[in-house]
Amino acid sequence: MTVETQPESSPALRPLPDTDILSFLYLEARLADEGRYSEWESLWADDDETVLYRVPMHPDDDPRTTLAYINDNRRRIKSRVAQLNTGNRHSQTPPSVMRRVVSNSEVAGQVGDTVTVESNFALFEYRVRQRFWAGRVVHTVRRSPEGLRLIRKIVHLIDAGGPIDTLAFLI
Amino acid sequence: MTTLDMPTSAKDFDVNAVVRSDRVHGSVYTSPEIFRREMDTIFKTGWVYVAHESEVSETGDYLTRMIGSDPVVVVRGKDGVVRVLLNRCTHRANKLCNADKGNANSFRCPYHGWTFNNTGALQGVPMREGYGVAFEEVRAELGLANAPRVDSYGGFVFASLAADGISLREHLGGVTHAIDRLLNLAPDRRIDLRANWMKHRHHANWKMVVENNVDGYHALFTHASVYDAIKPAKVSHVPAKVDVLVRDIGGGHSEIDYSEEYRKLDEEFVWYGRIPRAKLAGYVDALEKAYGPDQAHHALVVGPPHTLIWPNLFLAEMNVMFVEPQAPDRTIAYTTAVLIPGQDDLNERTLRRSEGAMGPAGFLIADDGEIGMRNQAGLAAELPEWLILARGMDDDITDETGIINRDKSAETPQRGFYSQWASVVGGKAGCDDR
Repeated sequence: MTVETQPESSPALRPLPDTDILSFLYLEARLADEGRYSEWESLWADDDETVLYRVPMHPDDDPRTTLAYINDNRRRIKSRVAQLNTGNRHSQTPPSVMRRVVSNSEVAGQVGDTVTVESNFALFEYRVRQRFWAGRVVHTVRRSPEGLRLIRKIVHLIDAGGPIDTLAFLI
Repeated sequence: MTTLDMPTSAKDFDVNAVVRSDRVHGSVYTSPEIFRREMDTIFKTGWVYVAHESEVSETGDYLTRMIGSDPVVVVRGKDGVVRVLLNRCTHRANKLCNADKGNANSFRCPYHGWTFNNTGALQGVPMREGYGVAFEEVRAELGLANAPRVDSYGGFVFASLAADGISLREHLGGVTHAIDRLLNLAPDRRIDLRANWMKHRHHANWKMVVENNVDGYHALFTHASVYDAIKPAKVSHVPAKVDVLVRDIGGGHSEIDYSEEYRKLDEEFVWYGRIPRAKLAGYVDALEKAYGPDQAHHALVVGPPHTLIWPNLFLAEMNVMFVEPQAPDRTIAYTTAVLIPGQDDLNERTLRRSEGAMGPAGFLIADDGEIGMRNQAGLAAELPEWLILARGMDDDITDETGIINRDKSAETPQRGFYSQWASVVGGKAGCDDR
């Protein structure tokens, strides 16, 4: 094994997100933590066919040929929330008590009025027993006249490749 | 935990103390001794599903899996033969292969560098002169251990860790019809299971996980939130309203069979969200070219199987699930979508349907997992001692396909499962006493 002592280029610093974007990410986290399903759903854009809420098994998986744990388009996000709202989704009855920390947020890309932010997250979930979920979360947020809207949320769990427990809450 | 005076010696084990024709004792789900016994009988002596041929289609393709408590490597060797090798270096027992899957000419033990080729033969030993003149003997004797019997049906590969026993075809018996029914939906009778396996940890006994798959009684209750909030079930789950059968196929295999109801409706794709055939024109054309319009229509009407293949494989319509028992109260369920080679439009829909229903975040299976966990929690109460499986017992009908019940909520599949369980775990399958 060789150790690179002189990298060809130094790693680039990434800009921090603007405060309104950060506030939006924290709002998204808080609504998910508190099981405020319909309010959480209202953060998503309604007019964008690329809306995606995804928890892949491997970061590079192609959705056309592989399965993900979650791969929701806008319509399926609505269904997921509707099922949770019945109060009869047994795997979330009662709902998990959760708090998550979203941190190390960096702007990974900016195209027109949309910005993509990568963050680390640690989620503490209590339901029967306490579990920890952690990983990288990638949010794509659009600025629009009616405010900020979520376009994509991709959650790369650190244990996505191994067996995972039931994941019926909003991660 | 439900307790029972479990004999510590297998010689004293009386299976009739825990399984009767209409009931099972709580300890079959909780007892570590019974779990160990299951590993030593069901998984050490019988046929167990290990892989699908599509996953090891090329020379050197390998997967790591479990047969009960034994880790194995399923690999297509350089001679083209699929073997099931015990995943343990023959030198000092280090787990040899640590990846989920891959392609390799040989496996190298990280501990002392021994290498084995992909047929399991010992290939190289570093500093071999340390073995002196006996090295050639070492080399000949210390190839990887393997499952003595490996066979397949319709691409599904099964293995047995026992050298002797019934053939795979005898083991499968009438359940080959279910595999055929799935393959009837593929124009060249091939499917592909390489969409990746969802790995879902269930906090429940493995039998709870598999029995539930052929329980036609629970859907109205366990899955009410799906039918209330999202969409109605494909056909009613009220038994009196439908011609849906449950069937004990024999040998522990069982199913819920929707085909009679679907034939009555004579409508294609009821099992696939009632999609209009025009949306899958390419697939329907390919199926008609392969089988002719009548046979293709029939296949598209009756759809895929909903069938449990003893002990660990579930043909879950357009999904395949297998289970890995880890402990009396812990099971990993592996689920993937059934892809049909060359049918990209169909496959992408199948993937999305599978994600919607199955796995740890699925609209259906997340709740089955929850119910399984609560079952295990409920079993902590020691009374009543027995779980009753008598539902529909008086209406079971024996026909050429097995024992059927025209009430889909009957517990006929579970009775079949435990009849086989009693016969295998009860010691008739030649388990090794410990």
